[in-house]
Amino acid sequence: MSIQDLVREATYLEVAMSADECLKCNVCNTVCPVARVTDLFPGPKYVGPQAQRFRMATLLPPQSDIAPKDASPDHWVDYCSGCGICTLACPADVKIAEINNRSRAEMKAGHRPKLRDWLFGQTDLVGRVGVIFAPIANWSFHNRLIRRMLELVMGIHRRAPLPDFARRTLRTTLRREARTAGSGIVLPSAAIEPPPDRAVVFFHGCAANYYEPHVALAAIDVLRRNGYETIVPKQVCCGLPLMNNGLYAQAREQAHSNIDVLADYARRGYRIVGTSTSCTHTFKAEYREMLDIDDADAQAVAAATWDICEFLVDLHERGRLDTRFGRLDEQLPYHAPCQLKSHGIGVPAMDLFALVPGLQAIDMDHDCCGVAGTYGLKKEKYDIAMAVGDPLFRKINATDSTQAACDSETCRWQIQTATGRPTRHPVEILAAAYDAYPTA
Amino acid sequence: MPTADVVVIGAGLAGLTAGIVLVDAGARVELVARGHAATHWTPGGFDMAALPGMMSSAAGIERLAARAGHPYALLRGDVRAALAFLREAVAAEGLTYRGALDDPLRTMPTAIGGTRRVGIVPAGQGSALDPWATGERLVVCGIDGFKDFWPSLIGASLARPGVWAGPGAGAGAGADGREEGRPDRIESVSVELPGQAGRRNVNALELGRAFDDAAWRREAFGRIARAVEASGHGPGRIAFPAVLGITDHAGVLRDAEEILPLPVFEVPLVPPSLPGLRLYQALRAAFLRRGGRMSIGEPVIRIDADGRRVTTVVLSAAVRERLIRTDAVILATGGIAGGGLIGLADGRLQEPLLDLPVEAPPADGWFSADPLSGDGHPLERAGIRTDANLHPVDPAGQVVFDNVAIVGTLLAGQRYLAERCGDGVAMASGWRAAAALIQGRAAA
Repeated sequence: MSIQDLVREATYLEVAMSADECLKCNVCNTVCPVARVTDLFPGPKYVGPQAQRFRMATLLPPQSDIAPKDASPDHWVDYCSGCGICTLACPADVKIAEINNRSRAEMKAGHRPKLRDWLFGQTDLVGRVGVIFAPIANWSFHNRLIRRMLELVMGIHRRAPLPDFARRTLRTTLRREARTAGSGIVLPSAAIEPPPDRAVVFFHGCAANYYEPHVALAAIDVLRRNGYETIVPKQVCCGLPLMNNGLYAQAREQAHSNIDVLADYARRGYRIVGTSTSCTHTFKAEYREMLDIDDADAQAVAAATWDICEFLVDLHERGRLDTRFGRLDEQLPYHAPCQLKSHGIGVPAMDLFALVPGLQAIDMDHDCCGVAGTYGLKKEKYDIAMAVGDPLFRKINATDSTQAACDSETCRWQIQTATGRPTRHPVEILAAAYDAYPTA
Repeated sequence: MPTADVVVIGAGLAGLTAGIVLVDAGARVELVARGHAATHWTPGGFDMAALPGMMSSAAGIERLAARAGHPYALLRGDVRAALAFLREAVAAEGLTYRGALDDPLRTMPTAIGGTRRVGIVPAGQGSALDPWATGERLVVCGIDGFKDFWPSLIGASLARPGVWAGPGAGAGAGADGREEGRPDRIESVSVELPGQAGRRNVNALELGRAFDDAAWRREAFGRIARAVEASGHGPGRIAFPAVLGITDHAGVLRDAEEILPLPVFEVPLVPPSLPGLRLYQALRAAFLRRGGRMSIGEPVIRIDADGRRVTTVVLSAAVRERLIRTDAVILATGGIAGGGLIGLADGRLQEPLLDLPVEAPPADGWFSADPLSGDGHPLERAGIRTDANLHPVDPAGQVVFDNVAIVGTLLAGQRYLAERCGDGVAMASGWRAAAALIQGRAAA
């Protein structure tokens, strides 16, 4: 057995064996947003630690020869949305959601994935093609007939919140903007890189590259205001959509591509900042906890990774955040996404909103918007996702606001589609507040 | 680094009581917990003290307060104020309680057909407090397919002589062993609820959510009413599993009163406890409404101190650490079950966050021949010894940290299970710790 195999085995066991700590107290079942709305999913305790005992039994001799590792005795696990709220609520630190994600992957291993699930994992491919054909792609995703066919053929729900493709990718836009002096954008082609105390490495992820370049541009703008240039290195999808659709092998390849590029920056003292809470959480935790990648490079990347709001709050705590925000007299309903909660960093967006004069941000205090990445896009899960988010949508609709805010892209699309309110990344709100500052 | 006036560690009854009192007084409070625990596991009532031979909670508290080293010896003066404050706080969130400290303790059935003595219970269990009149019957009503509540087993067990005296009822049983009050007849029925035909595995949460639906529950109560009427005649009460709603419990009780032919009381079940969950939700809502901040999920891994003052609470995070600078810490981390104390292989108990001096029996006293005996388990008494303001002290009585207060089950000297005093100690200590901090702030 190689060292790498041993590391893999160790991280595998760290998650898998955490089931041994389960007290069978049912706390996870009380907080599960999916089990709350459907009896297709019996609850995290049953498909997680309880089923895990049977999976773990196959690890021990003499069963190990006859039963495959992780064979799931419980196929309901596919209805886990992966929101991770069970892991947070567990008083015994059982990694319930992580167990579920892994056992779903094991369950699907060796089977050809559904075309839809495979496609949901190919965010870079879909994004690249989609941007090229953006006008027609966006038109067709709004066409009812085509959406019906998409549902029939692919199993993507006809009302699922699919985002519009941008007319050009973020990277194309940045290549153009980087030529302007003082843009604060540093591309891989740059001859010299600013030092780590004056620049961050930006992981834009797929959402900002193909669908919402404005989120990344707002982040770059806010960073520039605070004296940081933005280095935008080569990167591929973080791999989370692949993991959530059970495609671990390809997810590992993507992870290594990103780590290969980012580890060098991390070692040189740069901070890796992202606007997608799910990508940054994937770097921080999922490469290790789900993909068993735990070498020195991966650890360096994880340790250097920051969510953009976490980074800005850190600047503020060190007295280095430019707080010259102009007035924004509005109510702003805010949803803290599940992936953000798993960071364990509190709710930094709310701390930042509190610095903006006039802004009345209200934490909607709801567990999950339902969509959970690609879960709520699927035909058989759309109704569940909408029911999970329903109280949130009602709360937002009951506020006197024209827009809402949320850190995670798929949650934004879900909230926006369900409430009709444009939903922004917190950093967009901050950029607007900087712009509103009266200039003498 | 964010700064709080007080960090409360633990989201049980003690921590939340302290948190609510503090934010009520205008303090910036950050409440952190590694997960949910005691509230979700326990019956949702307020166990203040239920001692053998003691007729009321108040009498039990006085008896315990007279024992040197019992937390009530420090806290007896705070119990009434804490209870009144807490009842008012949760009532404002729609959760009301019945019973009072001076009322006689009453015997109510459990989900395995035993009994326990209670003084203050949620309104949903309230009619169990009324004395049994001559001729009253008890209808134990179960639900088809629900495995946590077996009405025929419970009914048969409750019909046995002596059961209503209960273990520890003591004087209540009378000198001749005659029980003080019990139903004349016990009947058992099981009802198929709407949409549940053929189901063999429903759980309390699903049922609770179903009862939140007004149309569904009215049909369900109709079926229960018919079954209760078919089972016999005459006045009495219905014992029903504690699944009567989660978010609209008050509405469920109103409909039950309107539709059912007899008063109903909920019987608490194995975890997850819906009455406990409702209590947690009411406490959480009261805390947040007053402006408290709360995060559940990441454990505290360390508390940094400068001499006799703690300065920073350190939480784990996906990477790095999350630091909260604070003027004071309230430790509401629980006993052994909650993780507030850890048993080490070398026979010591450890308080894992500040390594506080733990008062505990030596390791050879950790093992009880009969852990369910009326005396409880020897380790129940283990915990942290404090001064009158609940600051932790060493065996010589010297305060170890000036700005740390210990509340709840972590306090030494109580047998929270055997004496059934855990909720009373939790709320009174939470109240006391908060009040001491508020006075300290006012003085400063």
